[in-house]
Amino acid sequence: MTFFRITLLRSAIGLPRRSTDVLKALGLKKRMATVFHPVSSSVAGQIMKVKELVEVQEVDRSMTKQEVWLERKPDPGYYVEKTSVQERGEMGQQ
Amino acid sequence: MFKPTPTLFGGLLWKTPWRLSSPQKARQRKRLRAVDRVVDTLSAALARTGQSTKAVERWYAEMPREEEMLPKDKYTLFDKKEKSYRKSIHKLPKWTRVSQRVNPPGF
Repeated sequence: MTFFRITLLRSAIGLPRRSTDVLKALGLKKRMATVFHPVSSSVAGQIMKVKELVEVQEVDRSMTKQEVWLERKPDPGYYVEKTSVQERGEMGQQ
Repeated sequence: MFKPTPTLFGGLLWKTPWRLSSPQKARQRKRLRAVDRVVDTLSAALARTGQSTKAVERWYAEMPREEEMLPKDKYTLFDKKEKSYRKSIHKLPKWTRVSQRVNPPGF
């Protein structure tokens, strides 16, 4: 099952009421919000109504809000040292 | 506070330029291509699952792609009140967020 990954890039402020309502129906409430919907003709029709405002990708699985956020999280710039015993324990689990 | 500027003094001196600048045109082409990309993604995804949508089919039947469009249609639109029957597309309200690709044939 594939999904549409929809990101709202442009706001619908000042556009007809219908555009705002379609975005609300898709679950897009603010700019840069990302939602996942299964590929279906009804969702495609909804996206067509707001095609100028969104970016769409076809993806294999739906991601949670947390996973989407983690994608954007920058590299912390450091890593935590571990003792060799801890590292060996992790190696053993893999 | 009144600030005397040429715009406030002159009757017909508008700040909106009558034509688009080249970066504005470049961004307009970018937006046109972005819409093409969204529609392509939708149609490819639906085709893979064996579905179709009227809105997508209609778009392909009626709307030219960015590379098929004439510069005239990309940057200007029909206006019966203009001498040349064309005005620059940035006169269209919300022009960066609406699709305006086709014009009356012959104009």
